[in-house]
Amino acid sequence: MAKVEIQTFPDERAADFEAARTGALDHNPGDDAVSNYTINFGPQHPAAHGVLRLIMELDGEIVERVDPHVGLLHRGTEKLIEYRTYAQALPYFDRLDYCSPMCMEHSYVLAVEKLLGLEVPIRAQYIRVLMAELTRISNHMLNLGSHVMDVGAMTPNLWLFEVREDTLQFYEKVSGARMHANYFRVGGVHQDIPESVLAEMSDWLDNRLQLFEDAMSLVVDNRIFKQRNVDIGVVSKDDALAWGFSGPMIRASGIPWDLRKSQPYEVYDRMEFDVPVGTKGDCYDRFMVRVEEVRQSARIMRQCLKDMPDGPIGSLDRKVFPPKRAEMKQSMEALIHHFKLYTEGYHVPEGEVYVATESPKGEFGVYLVADGTNKPYRCKIRPTAFSHLQAMDFMMKGHMLADTTAVLSAIDVVFGECDR
Amino acid sequence: MSLAFPRYAERSDFLDALRRDHGDGIVAHRTEVGEQTLVVTREALVPVMRALRDTHGYQQLMEIAGVDFPDRAERFEVNYCLLSVTHNHRLRVKVSTDADTPVPSVTGLWPVAGWLEREVFDLYGVDFAGNPDLRRILTDYGFEGHPLRKDFPQTGYVEMRYSEAEKRVVYEPVKLPQDFRNFDFLSPWEGPEYRLPGDEKAEPHEAGGASPAKATGEPTRVKAKAGPGDPKTTEGPEDTGAGEPTNEEVREDARDPVAEKADHAGGKATDTPSPETREDAPAQPRKGDK
Repeated sequence: MAKVEIQTFPDERAADFEAARTGALDHNPGDDAVSNYTINFGPQHPAAHGVLRLIMELDGEIVERVDPHVGLLHRGTEKLIEYRTYAQALPYFDRLDYCSPMCMEHSYVLAVEKLLGLEVPIRAQYIRVLMAELTRISNHMLNLGSHVMDVGAMTPNLWLFEVREDTLQFYEKVSGARMHANYFRVGGVHQDIPESVLAEMSDWLDNRLQLFEDAMSLVVDNRIFKQRNVDIGVVSKDDALAWGFSGPMIRASGIPWDLRKSQPYEVYDRMEFDVPVGTKGDCYDRFMVRVEEVRQSARIMRQCLKDMPDGPIGSLDRKVFPPKRAEMKQSMEALIHHFKLYTEGYHVPEGEVYVATESPKGEFGVYLVADGTNKPYRCKIRPTAFSHLQAMDFMMKGHMLADTTAVLSAIDVVFGECDR
Repeated sequence: MSLAFPRYAERSDFLDALRRDHGDGIVAHRTEVGEQTLVVTREALVPVMRALRDTHGYQQLMEIAGVDFPDRAERFEVNYCLLSVTHNHRLRVKVSTDADTPVPSVTGLWPVAGWLEREVFDLYGVDFAGNPDLRRILTDYGFEGHPLRKDFPQTGYVEMRYSEAEKRVVYEPVKLPQDFRNFDFLSPWEGPEYRLPGDEKAEPHEAGGASPAKATGEPTRVKAKAGPGDPKTTEGPEDTGAGEPTNEEVREDARDPVAEKADHAGGKATDTPSPETREDAPAQPRKGDK
């Protein structure tokens, strides 16, 4: 074992510090000259919510400048999609924001349907809304939990993970996969939800979601939690617009903008729900907007469960939506359609669309350029976290180093989506 | 059954005012699948965007998306997706550029454009004049090339792994155990246009082209290239597709090692004929083949 030599470097101010220790100097020599100090945060840090690297310039403990380095999780999703058929591109969307997979698929299937001009059965639309709202609850459970954990509370996170686990169970019951569901399809959804699962979901909403309220009762009026969040990272209405904010971030700043309300897709125009709005635009408002969104999502889910009609769960256009497997065993035509759809896929007419939905984190958009073949010519994904994270520098200016985690959690950033 | 995609307000009142003030700058305006696109010149981009933001109520810049069309003279398209929260409307503003001409930056209008432009610069190599911080953003530190260009291979050029021997991450040229398989699923019966590589000059729908011509009226008579009487000529290696002999140089070495060494010292080119000269030369049996 080699002996480790510890070297100490002589400091030209060591004499002053020694004088201060013995009482010969009446003030702290450290206050005489302070120069800015740059630290590196991440890319592996439990409060970074993934692989984020922040270069922070500090004046003492005050943050002067933040330079977020993103792209550490860049997997070239957009490039890969250009080499896949439309159906093959879908699973990549689950892997963008892996905390709300179905909401990622949602924008993509709607974009393709818009280009195709494809009509979707009402039951499929209800199922999609139901699952999108379940996803929103699932996402917010993770974000709210990690937010309180980042600012020092432990218990609520564990309770919220219980609820999140339930949502993942529903994911598995509905799609067969806990996270990467690959459930939405162009023209509908992959499989129908059994009546028993719908009943279970309804039961869960009535009984189990109380756990979320219990967890929130520990947090929302907690003095320490408020001290860590109120007046931290305040964003005004004008700034929120200029920095391209969306979702809970823009609503916390006081702009009642929700794509489900203003640009309704699917059957959201039949749903009754309120859009929570913040008053000050700080981290506490963002937190509380998400808390209220969970309640509103539960409300939408109840309406979906109540009003969901019977009927097909996918488009009847056999040139786009594959036939049922049982049908395929009997009918030659169904077999041909099945074969064609799973090899060649469908052709999407030439054109370009930008379709955005209200994902749990904000406006998640897909800009799709089709050239008439069975593969997208270009599929640009508009992540929410990209714009929000860019505003980090401006939100952090003048705050303490410890507020970084609160601001970061309130952004609700997931790097699978940010880096694509 | 109903259409499911997001529905927003229809709007065209801003067009006349925009045409009046920036008539030269607006190349085209079109509405496709219910979405409005405004094509503007590079010079007019910033004034038009300023008018859209300040006069016509497009408060938010949601996205800047680059698209690469290698066939066009100005191969890159830059799409700005604008959102009006007061009019509940979306508008797409489009400019085109090539690899050398910069697009004026809109960071002065929307601070969010900073990263969005960095991303287009990173992935396509489009230059934005006036962006104060045009660094790469999504790709690796020290990455070369612009990965979303159509001529950039899907696999990239370098791969990275952790070397246990060197105790650090090493970069190596991509080695694929198997080529990337890009299946051509397009059905030749449903009339897709085939653009086969190396066949760019041919019209795909012409007789003998890659895509079959649509049947219109008189059937077109396709003249056979080779009649039945013509002898089949597959003597040369270029006909068989056998490719270049790989070890010619080595064989020369083996034949006359001393002279070959002298050649290498003098930097003399080897006498392997290049594919161009082989094309015209009479087919000859390959040296070394029995």
